[in-house]
Amino acid sequence: MTAPEPGIGGSLPEGLALEQRDDAPVRMYHVSKSYLAGTFALHDISLSFGRGEMVFLTGSSGAGKTTLLKSLFAAERPSEGQILVLGRNIARLEGSAIPFLRRRIGVVFQDFKLLASRTIEENVGMALDVLGTPRRENRQRTFQVLKQVGLQHRRLHHPLSLSGGEQQRVAIARALVNQPQVLLADEPTGNLDPELTLEIMDLIADAATRGTTVIVATHDVSLIERYGKRTIRLEGGRVVEDSPATGRAA
Amino acid sequence: MNRVATVIYLLFRTAVRGLASSATTSSAAVVTIAITLVLVGAFTILVGNMRGMLDRFGGDLRITAYFEEGLDLAEARRIAGSVATVEGVHQVVMVTPDEALARFRETTGAEALLEGLASNPLPASLEIALLPEHRTERGVGRVEQALEGLPGIDGLAKGQEWIDGYARAANLVRFAALGLGAVLAVSALMIVSNTIRLAIYSREDELDILSLVGASRTFLRVPFLLEGTIQGLTGGLLAILVLWLGFVAFTEPIRVGLSFFLGNAAPRFLLCGEAAWLVLGGAILGMMGSAAALSGWRGTTG
Repeated sequence: MTAPEPGIGGSLPEGLALEQRDDAPVRMYHVSKSYLAGTFALHDISLSFGRGEMVFLTGSSGAGKTTLLKSLFAAERPSEGQILVLGRNIARLEGSAIPFLRRRIGVVFQDFKLLASRTIEENVGMALDVLGTPRRENRQRTFQVLKQVGLQHRRLHHPLSLSGGEQQRVAIARALVNQPQVLLADEPTGNLDPELTLEIMDLIADAATRGTTVIVATHDVSLIERYGKRTIRLEGGRVVEDSPATGRAA
Repeated sequence: MNRVATVIYLLFRTAVRGLASSATTSSAAVVTIAITLVLVGAFTILVGNMRGMLDRFGGDLRITAYFEEGLDLAEARRIAGSVATVEGVHQVVMVTPDEALARFRETTGAEALLEGLASNPLPASLEIALLPEHRTERGVGRVEQALEGLPGIDGLAKGQEWIDGYARAANLVRFAALGLGAVLAVSALMIVSNTIRLAIYSREDELDILSLVGASRTFLRVPFLLEGTIQGLTGGLLAILVLWLGFVAFTEPIRVGLSFFLGNAAPRFLLCGEAAWLVLGGAILGMMGSAAALSGWRGTTG
């Protein structure tokens, strides 16, 4: 774990000063998020996530896991503090700059978020469409990433004809097709049985071995123990435990 | 295909897919725009034909200046020369008493009326044609004022009042068309806007996902603007088709029914420029409707 420097976050000019001191792709400095006065979804959180590091975020429902992940891809803005993702300060990021940041971040959700009316190929290719990737290149890259998750033969099928595990593999393929530097997964195995859970987690863990910073929100203790990665426990929007990796592999 | 072409292709593909997925509401918007434009187009045809008639009347418009009795021909010619220099005068033709008599005979055939007269009672006169831009009430008034001050002129005759009345009627029709068109355009705008709003709601999941994978505001919004524009264009083309079919089917009844306004001239359809404006108007209407819907949309995730 790379500890952030206390007190420095509040006055950073667009993250440049810290970029020189710390090369971690994701850094949070005294971050708080409040929807109602006096109540906090996140409270004074300072964390750093290194390149190629895989981290589990855990805690009970309402602990702040999803809010933390959302704040990393700018779906939420911090009420206080600074969040630096890939050198961009989320707290000060202009709306027009958010898409450019998101193109470097992959996000996987529990409910897959696939479009039923589109083929698997089109669902994955959407992430390349927004970049204006030419059709031929789009198809090639989509095929490669679907091959990586073992679904190249289903590319012309529609999501509803796939099992839950397969749908989540498609969602992972979509998150990885742009070779993101950060991968965020919010309860990615929440809807899956144990066998499929390991299959999906292996795919996500693979991304970390290729240098992607991976942050997985889960309350599945067995999964956390099995992978032995750094684990951050949240309660009431605060970090109550930050355990380093145990070195145990899956 | 380079990136820009790919993006343009994708934006159009998304718009067309969006239209296809909401065919019923989109069709309603197209029909509303078409109805609006059919009415505006019908008035345009009517006003266009009335204006054509006005132009023909205007071309025939003459001010006749009668000379005082006994004025000698040389003096009359001198006055004709002066009249030709008055601002707004296009052409001056002098009609001698003999020529006037010959015309009278030719046009009335009333030889009997003239038999008992010892001499020709008709005065010499000037027929004054005006430049097109002076064929208005004010233009005619200016020329009349200049003529009235000239020595040797006994009186003036003109057919302007009838033409002015007709011009006022044409203007009234034009303003009625504009007023009705504006009211209908607002309703069409609201329907397009609601159609696009429904499309946004029905595609929220898609917009959410696109936003998550980094779609820009332009990428998210342009397909809806295109949808509105395509609806408007389709409505415009449909309106032209309906107007043309109506025109072909009802040309003869129109000609008879409006013979008072049109004279014996054959009614004309919209000019190419007018038709193009109508279709363009539809497209603008559609685009504005979409823009109105999008202005109230705060976007998706984040």
